[in-house]
Amino acid sequence: MTSSFPGAAGPAAGAAWHAGEDLLASYAARTAGAVADWSVETHLTGCASCRSALSAHVDAERLARNRSALLVRAAIGEGGRVRRLLRRCGVPDHVLTLLAATPSLRASWLLSVMAVVAVVALEAAALGYGWIPGGGPVAGHPGPAALAPFLLVAPLLVLAGVAAAFLPVFDPAWRLAAAAPFSGFTLLLVRAVCALAAALVPVTGVAFVLPGPGWLPVALLLPSLALSAFALASATIMDPRAAAVTTAALWALPVLWLASADVPLLIVAPAAQVACAAVLCACAVVLCLRRDRFELGWMR
Amino acid sequence: MTLNVSTAAVRVDGLSRRYGAIRALDAVDLTLERGITGLLGPNGAGKTTLLSILATISEPDTGRVSVLGLDPRDGTERLEIRRRLGYLPQELRYHRHFTVTAFLDYVAILKEITDRRRRAEEVARVLAVTGLEDRARSRIRTLSGGMRRRLGIAQALLGGPELLILDEPTAGLDPEQRLRFRELLSGLPGDPAIVLSTHQADDIAAICPQVVVLLQGRVQFAGTPAGLAGTAAGRVWAADERDSRAHLSWRGGDGRWRHIGEHCPAGAELVTPTVEDGYLLLSHAAGAR
Amino acid sequence: MRPEAGERDDAVLLRAVARGDEGALAALYDRHAAWLTVRLARRCAIPDVVDYAVQDTFLAVWREAGAYRGGGDVAAFIWGIGIRRLIDAIRRENGPRRLRWRAAEPETVVSAEDQVLAGIEHGRLGQALGGLSPELRGALEATVLDGLTCAEAAVLLGVAEGTVKSRCHRARVALRAALAGQQSGPGTAAYHQEAWEII
Repeated sequence: MTSSFPGAAGPAAGAAWHAGEDLLASYAARTAGAVADWSVETHLTGCASCRSALSAHVDAERLARNRSALLVRAAIGEGGRVRRLLRRCGVPDHVLTLLAATPSLRASWLLSVMAVVAVVALEAAALGYGWIPGGGPVAGHPGPAALAPFLLVAPLLVLAGVAAAFLPVFDPAWRLAAAAPFSGFTLLLVRAVCALAAALVPVTGVAFVLPGPGWLPVALLLPSLALSAFALASATIMDPRAAAVTTAALWALPVLWLASADVPLLIVAPAAQVACAAVLCACAVVLCLRRDRFELGWMR
Repeated sequence: MTLNVSTAAVRVDGLSRRYGAIRALDAVDLTLERGITGLLGPNGAGKTTLLSILATISEPDTGRVSVLGLDPRDGTERLEIRRRLGYLPQELRYHRHFTVTAFLDYVAILKEITDRRRRAEEVARVLAVTGLEDRARSRIRTLSGGMRRRLGIAQALLGGPELLILDEPTAGLDPEQRLRFRELLSGLPGDPAIVLSTHQADDIAAICPQVVVLLQGRVQFAGTPAGLAGTAAGRVWAADERDSRAHLSWRGGDGRWRHIGEHCPAGAELVTPTVEDGYLLLSHAAGAR
Repeated sequence: MRPEAGERDDAVLLRAVARGDEGALAALYDRHAAWLTVRLARRCAIPDVVDYAVQDTFLAVWREAGAYRGGGDVAAFIWGIGIRRLIDAIRRENGPRRLRWRAAEPETVVSAEDQVLAGIEHGRLGQALGGLSPELRGALEATVLDGLTCAEAAVLLGVAEGTVKSRCHRARVALRAALAGQQSGPGTAAYHQEAWEII
């Protein structure tokens, strides 16, 4: 391969031209001038031996540093399809990595949630649609008791997803996060919101197909949000595990009581929705005011 | 931020912390200079409590703390401490699905290295320092105990901290692994101040120019290993038979009995005390109280 | 005579990379990173940006090695990726600020004797190119040597797209004028043909 500037005079035709050491050195040092640069670059595209000869004139430490960084980035990889999609939508890469470390956003967790929802929904549907006797005297208008298990379980599943975002037991390396400068509150919020959204999808989706009032899917939103907010806010006041358990009880007990009185749907009645909205607002305020507690770690 | 002219890495005044009825730390006063300091004490002596307070993940009940000249009670200064800190907690557990590189990437984000490329360079650096490059793509659950410990050190080194807090970093390691760990610590770039806790006296003797003995939440000794050994001077003797006047006796590898006691019997064959002897003597004295 | 380093091996390596062989990626890096770094550094004066572009290039090769169809040099394939990664990196770092194309072009005077000694076959085209101003030469290099579109060249050079087009045009005009004004010499026909192909 000859240079891109075939000379009128030059070495015998047929002899391959290679860049000499001096030329390579001055090219690497950028003292060769533009025309020689052009010549060398065109030549290097096709000549492996000159390429390897050039290596001697390039800063070895810089090459090594880029090499190890490259291998690390290749090892970390781009993530799965979901991650690539989210990144293209503008979500910062480091947020995605933090979310990947959240147990309630992992496939195994979400599949378990869907399994539980499916089981409960199947049971409600079976009773409600009359596939098995009992529960509903008229097909299409099931007795309210059929929905009670679903009403009990659905918001609790959402709560569980959010709880997994802040309970230390779900984060094996929680001490590292606690001792690190990254804002604990931001970390928590990012994880909780995403876990909330991820859990709400199967829950409300299933609610659409269940027998019962048409507004059931929407009616589950506020209670789920209120429960999550309550758990987070009370985690700033009491031990996080106690907060999670208390919140769960505060939902389970009324639902069970209303179910025993055969009016479980009252838990999502308009009056209850208003109450949930009020709780949500109050807890959001408390959470904002007391967010410093999340910066301190969990060792009480 | 107050200007602090002291060179001490850590300063603690009257620190107390209790969990219910248990007094984990009782009016602890300490000044730790730069360099490597060993915190020696049995389980339950308060080492983990003290280290977690220094690492800003726990609050004391009373007392003042100054880490790298900053006060952890102030939000801004606490953040600044955390930026300069590397912490290896006791029994660090890892997310099951993480690979070595992915885990280090995660911790690097927690240390606020948000730029992807800078993170990769930093991860590559600590992998090289701890010798984990070959296992960079392995899942953590496939690593041996010694390698997981090295990974714990690696994550603590991310971001080039000024202060390293290592809680029982050598626990469960065999002697060869402990030797490699010591080599790693003594060759760290950037020369950070290191505080490590252990209940093994020979770790102290091997690498720590400063040692603090913590027993039942109180500082029983602060000084050099030679000083600690020196507290048992004249109180350690050897004999062919067991001597009931000694507080502690055991048979050494050479078949002779080694005794430690408050009062050495007259005419007994004195031996040069080791760091462990001094520590045992202090433990015994503290236990007797 | 230097032995050939085995160009076919590059294609083999690339296929191994496409299969996910990380060792092959490292080997490919060892072979190509040096020239890529220098060549990119000539186009961008900021070392950090060049470093990131080099990393991004090999990462892109890692992901897209399957796209290499076997025609043409692997080096040219890598360059095609590399220069576009550099442009992406410049766009990211740049924002509204314009990057200088390169540090001030060094004032080197390479004497005619040195040129012959160094084996540079300038010929008349080389002399004509050398006679161009740096801006015109830069525009020509970006579009001809680097194979960029005018839009991409605009980002690289830090000028507007229209400016690139006009500079290329003026460069070609100047080259034609310079070559037309020169005397014919031995081997002129072949060399003129190659020269016209470039222009």
